[in-house]
Amino acid sequence: MNAPEIQIKNVSMVYPVNNGEDIVALNDVNLDIQEGEFISLLGPSGCGKTTLLRIIADLNKPTSGSVSIRGQSPRDIRLQRKNGIVFQTPVLYDWRTVRRNICMPMEIMGVPKKERTARINQMLDLVELRDFGDKYPFELSGGMQQRVGIARALALNPEFLLMDEPFSALDEFTREKLNEDLLSIWSKTKKTVIFVTHNIPESVFLSDRVVVLSPHPGRISAIVDINLPRPRNNSIRETPEFYDYVTKIRRSFEGV
Amino acid sequence: MISKKEQRIVAIVWIIGIIVVWELLSFLLKNVIHDPMAATKLPYLHTVAMTFFENWKTLLEAGAVTFSRAAIGFALGASVGIILAVLMSLSKTMERIAFPYLIVSQMIPVLGLAPIIFNIVRDMNVSRIFIAAYITFFPVAVNMLSGLKSVEQDKKDLLFSISANKFKVYQKLMFPYSMSYLFTGLKIAAPMAVTASILVDMLGSQSGIGVKILYSLYSNSTNIFWASVFTSAFMGIISFYIVIFAERLCLPWQNAVPGKEGVRA
Amino acid sequence: MKSKVANLLWPLAFGIALILAWQFGLLHKMLALKPFQLPVPSEIASTLAANLPKALKDCGVTISGALIGLIIGSSMGFMIAAIATFFPKWGYGGLIVVTALNAVPIVALSPIMNLWFSTGMEQKIGVVTVVCMAAMAINAYSGLNNLKPHSIDLMYSVAANKWTIFRKLRLPNSLPYIFTATKINIASAIIAAIISEYFASSTSGLGFGIKDNLRKAEMAMGWSYIVVASLAGVILYCIILLVERDALKWHASQK
Repeated sequence: MNAPEIQIKNVSMVYPVNNGEDIVALNDVNLDIQEGEFISLLGPSGCGKTTLLRIIADLNKPTSGSVSIRGQSPRDIRLQRKNGIVFQTPVLYDWRTVRRNICMPMEIMGVPKKERTARINQMLDLVELRDFGDKYPFELSGGMQQRVGIARALALNPEFLLMDEPFSALDEFTREKLNEDLLSIWSKTKKTVIFVTHNIPESVFLSDRVVVLSPHPGRISAIVDINLPRPRNNSIRETPEFYDYVTKIRRSFEGV
Repeated sequence: MISKKEQRIVAIVWIIGIIVVWELLSFLLKNVIHDPMAATKLPYLHTVAMTFFENWKTLLEAGAVTFSRAAIGFALGASVGIILAVLMSLSKTMERIAFPYLIVSQMIPVLGLAPIIFNIVRDMNVSRIFIAAYITFFPVAVNMLSGLKSVEQDKKDLLFSISANKFKVYQKLMFPYSMSYLFTGLKIAAPMAVTASILVDMLGSQSGIGVKILYSLYSNSTNIFWASVFTSAFMGIISFYIVIFAERLCLPWQNAVPGKEGVRA
Repeated sequence: MKSKVANLLWPLAFGIALILAWQFGLLHKMLALKPFQLPVPSEIASTLAANLPKALKDCGVTISGALIGLIIGSSMGFMIAAIATFFPKWGYGGLIVVTALNAVPIVALSPIMNLWFSTGMEQKIGVVTVVCMAAMAINAYSGLNNLKPHSIDLMYSVAANKWTIFRKLRLPNSLPYIFTATKINIASAIIAAIISEYFASSTSGLGFGIKDNLRKAEMAMGWSYIVVASLAGVILYCIILLVERDALKWHASQK
C-alpha cells in the first residue's frame, strides 16, 4: 500500500466558552486517507465531523495536532487551489447564472476565457444540467442547485473533493438520485472524496470506508470498511449485505 | 396574492378617486363654505393642471436646474457613502470610530443647517450639492455596510478555499451581494436629495423650482404656486422611480428576492 | 470586555480630536474659513450658556410641535396600515399612494400649510403630521403583514376571526417595525418642524432662531441652536431606544 495521501495526526479542536467549560469539538483524532478513496465522516450533530472537514480544507486551524496532505500543510494545498468544496447549502451567487456560477472559481484562478467555456460545458454535461446553463439559481430546484454546487467544485479539476452534508437539505428521493449521480461522477473523475453526513445508508452506499464519530468530546469511535461491489446503483440498497452494514454502524452508536 | 394587473387597476382607481375627492373639496370650499381664499387654499385640480401645461416650459426648466444639482449631490454623497462602508467593512477600528458618528450625524438637523452652510460657503450651488450629498451619504453608507456585513460565511469560505485575494473577494462576492442593499439606500436617499435641493432654492437661490414656489406665493399667482408644488412633488417621485428602474436594470436576479427592509436611522 | 472599552475609546478619541482641531483653527485652515463664518466650540458654548433660557424656550416650542405632529401622524399612518391590512386589495393600492407621498419633498408642503393654518404652531404640526404619516404607514404595513410562515395557518386552525388574528398575531408582530418607524420619524419630525419655521410667520422656535440669528450675523447663536436641536434629537432617540428595549424583550434584535 502507498503512503497515505492525507495524514491526520492527534488533531484536537477546543472552542473556549466564557463560563470556563470549554467545548471539545475534536479530541485527539488520528486518520489516514488513501489516494482516490471515498471516505465518509459519519456522526450525530456535535461530533465534530464538519470541524474535521474544515480543518482539512484549511477553513479552521486545529488547536493542536497536524494534518499533512501529500506531505504539505492544508494551507499549501489551499493556496495551490487543489480543493473543491461543496457546502450544506448550495452557496450559489444569486446574481450569476448557472454558467457564471460554475465559472467563478476559474475567474479567480485566471483560466483563459476559451478554456472556461469548454470546461463549463463539460461540467454541465457531467451534472446533467445542459439546458439550464443560462438560468438564475432561483429558477432551479434544490437538487439542481446542489448539482451546480458540485459542478462548480469540480470545475477547477481539484485533487480533493470535500463535501459537507451536501444533500442533507434535500428530500429522500432527490438524495438517493444524487447519491447515484455522485458515484458516477466520482468513477469518471477519480478524486479523493471526503464526505460529511449524518445519514447512515448514504454513507454506506457511497463510501469505501465510513469513519464513525461520536460527540462529547468529538472522537473517532469506529472505522467500517464497506466491501460492496462497485459500480453501485440504488438497487444495492435492497441487498442483505447493505442492510448488515447499516445495522452494524447503527449498533456502534448504541454502544456509545 | 393580488396579481400585478389587478394592482395596477386598483392604483388607477385610487388616483381617479383622489382627483374626484379633491375637485369635490375645492367645490365645497368655494361654493358651500364660501371661503374667500378658496382659490389659494385648494384650487381646482384641473386649473392647476392647465396652468402646468401653459407654463410647462418654465416649470420644467426650473425643475431641471434643481434636479441636476440634486443629482450631482446625490452622486457625490452615494460615492462617499459607498467608500465609507467599504472602509468600515475592511477595518474594525474604522467601523468603531465612524459608526457612532454616523448615527449622531443623523440627529443633526441637516436640512436645518442649510442656512448656516450657505453662510459658510457663500455659493448657492456648492451648498446645494453639499447638503444633497450629506443627506444621501448616510442611508447609502448604512445600507451598504449592512449588505457587506450580511454576506454568508459559506460564500466567503468558498472563495477562501480557492485562495482568492481580498480584491477578488470584494469584486466577485462582496460588491455584487451588497448591490440590493445599496439600492435600498439609494431609494431612500434619492427623494431626500431632491428635497434638500429644493430647500436650498427656497433659502435664496436665483433659479430653480423652489424659487418659483416662493415667488409665486409672495406675488399671489396661486395657480403657478400650486403647479410648482406639483412639479416638485413629481420630481421627488420621479427620482425614486429612476432608482427603481436602475435597480431592475442592474439586478435582474432580484425578482425572486422579497423586498428588504431598509435602514434609515 | 476589552472590545467594549475599545468601542468606546476609539470614537471618543476621534470626537475629542475633531473638537480640538475645530477649536484651534485646524478645521478653518483646512476648509479655508474665517472665524466669523464658523465659530469655534468654546464660543458656541459660552453663547449658549448666556442665552440658555431663550434657547430652551425656543427648543420647547419646536419639540412640542414636532412631538404632537409625530403622534398625530404616526397614529394616522398606523390606521392607514391597519385598514390596508383588513382590506388587502383596495388598501394596498392606497398604500402605494402613500408611498408616493413619502417621496414628495416636505419643504414643498410648508408653504401650503401656511395657507391653511393661521398660527405657526398649527402649521408646524400639519407639516410634521404629513411627514411622519408615510413612514409609519409603510413600516406598520410590513409589520402587520410580514408574518412567519404558518403562523396565520395556526390561527385559522383554531378558527380565529380576523380581529383576533389582528390582535394576537399581527399587532405584536408589527411592534419592531413600529419602533423602527418611530426612530426614523423622530429625526425627520424635528427637521420638518425646523424647516416649517423657516417659512412660517412664527416668531419663536429653533428654525426661526437659526434664521433670525443668521440674518443678524450672529453665527455663534445660530450654531448653539443647532447644538440644542441635535441634543434634543439624541435625547428623544435614546428615550425611544429605552422604551423599545423594554417592550421588545422577545425580539432577536435585542440580544
